[in-house]
Amino acid sequence: MKAVFTFSLMTLRMLFRRRTLWGILLVILLALAGIASVPSFDVSNQGRFILDFGLFGIEVGALLLALGLAANLYPRDRETGTLMPLIAVPLSRWQYLLGRFFGAALVQAAALIVTCLGLMLILLFHRLPIPGDLLPATLLIIVEGWFLLSTVFFFSFFASPPLNWPLTTMLFIVSQMSVSEFVSAMPSAPGLMRAVRLLLPHADVFHIKDPIAHGFEIEPVYFLIAVFYGLCYSAFMLSLALAVFRGRDLK
Amino acid sequence: MRMCTLFISLVLLAFVGCRTDYDIADIAPTEHLESAEHHGHDHDHEHVDGETGDEHSVDEHVEDSHAGHAHSSGNRNHGTQWFFNQPWAAPFIWGKLFRDALIFLGLAAGIFLITGRRRKR
Amino acid sequence: MADVHPLQVMELSKRFPRKRGLGSVQAVSSISFDVRQGEIVGFIGHNGAGKTTTIKCILGLLKASEGKISLWGSAPADSDVRKRIGYIPESPDYDDSFTPMEYLSMFASMRGLSGKDTDWMKLLKRTGLARWETTRIRQFSKGMKQRMSLAVALQSNPDLLIMDEPTGGLDPIARKEFRDIIIEENKRGTSVFLSSHILSDVETICNRAVILAGGKLVAEGSLKELLGGEKLYRITVISRRTGEEVEEIMPEADLQSRIDSLRKDNLPIVKVEMALKSLEDVFLSATGGEEQ
Repeated sequence: MKAVFTFSLMTLRMLFRRRTLWGILLVILLALAGIASVPSFDVSNQGRFILDFGLFGIEVGALLLALGLAANLYPRDRETGTLMPLIAVPLSRWQYLLGRFFGAALVQAAALIVTCLGLMLILLFHRLPIPGDLLPATLLIIVEGWFLLSTVFFFSFFASPPLNWPLTTMLFIVSQMSVSEFVSAMPSAPGLMRAVRLLLPHADVFHIKDPIAHGFEIEPVYFLIAVFYGLCYSAFMLSLALAVFRGRDLK
Repeated sequence: MRMCTLFISLVLLAFVGCRTDYDIADIAPTEHLESAEHHGHDHDHEHVDGETGDEHSVDEHVEDSHAGHAHSSGNRNHGTQWFFNQPWAAPFIWGKLFRDALIFLGLAAGIFLITGRRRKR
Repeated sequence: MADVHPLQVMELSKRFPRKRGLGSVQAVSSISFDVRQGEIVGFIGHNGAGKTTTIKCILGLLKASEGKISLWGSAPADSDVRKRIGYIPESPDYDDSFTPMEYLSMFASMRGLSGKDTDWMKLLKRTGLARWETTRIRQFSKGMKQRMSLAVALQSNPDLLIMDEPTGGLDPIARKEFRDIIIEENKRGTSVFLSSHILSDVETICNRAVILAGGKLVAEGSLKELLGGEKLYRITVISRRTGEEVEEIMPEADLQSRIDSLRKDNLPIVKVEMALKSLEDVFLSATGGEEQ
């Protein structure tokens, strides 16, 4: 595991040195500031508005970060020839995949925590209370971000970055829909739509922005189950990515 | 061989997915739906929702000139059944979530080991 | 276990599927050879002969369609044997935001090596990169990246060096330095498998050569066997038409009859001498002299 750890650190340093991360982070923070500057009706509604849309902004930020950080990692390694010396000698394929994933996951988590702190600052600036569940909600978004990251890795082994973006975004959108919402998109084939939807991930597990914005308390056990579900689903997506990668000839 | 792995994974995934229907509106026990309805329309009683575990025993509502009728923070509003048809508010699917997570973990380990052994050969 | 060679390739074949599933292309066809302990083996062939494909199969980057590869008797995927290999790819590249020193430190950690920065500094000096210790790799030329890949390959004091066109982007002085380092490593006990287009490099440092053409092995043996298998002679005569000296090279068996025929024609023979065969002659004669 030492090789994976070192390679993750190497990936982390590399991603911090790229402009992509800072660009996306800036966009998310600007979006949060924009949300906070929308005039609202009263203090109570403004708090809900900022929390609801702020957490939604962070969630979309998780998607952007997953794509921006990881969609190009493997294709670029292949194209530049960086992959060959790594895979040929010190690392096996699973070590390469996990190292890249953990490095990107750490960078993504750090960026999302920064955006959460940004949201807190905005709430403080407006003299609004910071709900106790905001940090756990951010943790759930981070786990959702890792799930998206593993999906991006999976697609990156057989799709170019320009194709990876729409594929992952579509999966992100579909995974937010309930089964009935998805079926209603094509009511002429309900059985097919139902089967397709059930095969796809259920990212609504990570949704707690609505209850937080409306002041509901979430049971701690739910956080734990949702985090566990997200981590296991990410592991499953990574194993699929690894299956594709292991079967691949590196010409 | 790659297609075979993908096919087996999809079959297993279908097995997981089809056994668990996350459409809470479809699979919720009647108490959950009644509770949501109850909260949607009856604001005059105290209520403890033992089934869902939601802690919103006292309906304190405030009049809102824009929305017509809205509760204060922590309380359910009219027409918001979808709001409670989400996993966080439906403890009856948490067990399924946990079970599915374990299945995904098992699948991940299986795929990792099988593809690794094939590669070594 | 004395007979277990560092590298054994047995009946290796590799086919690549064509696009849209229309059949396949045979890149390497049933080749067998080995690299014995302490040898430097040259691997030569024209472009597209299958050299890089073979090397990638050896390293597990490509899956062999048929045949077997063993490194010290184990499969290439075995992590223990991979630790004993140093590899220089054809066109090496590295994450360009790092410096050579950072890269070597991280590679050392990934390989579980216990060296310190001072050791890596020595290595950079040895490969001619000491001055660029803190320069980001994105500023490196192709030749400097080749040097970097040599440093990475030598870092673990490998028992087997696998090199794919290592001197391709180097100037003559750097090529000489590269060759010297390979010889030094070989003296230390490292076996070397060197794929190269530059036949003079192979001729200078290799003990044996394997020649590939069109994915097939066409010649293999020690350089002595390949170069000295048949005695050749060069006859210099004065051309009657132009009055200039003309050379003819022929095998020993034909020499006497040719001299007799020249005398019969009254052509003045200037000299008869032994012709030394070069690896290029062997290569051209083995491959038919054309790219396939």
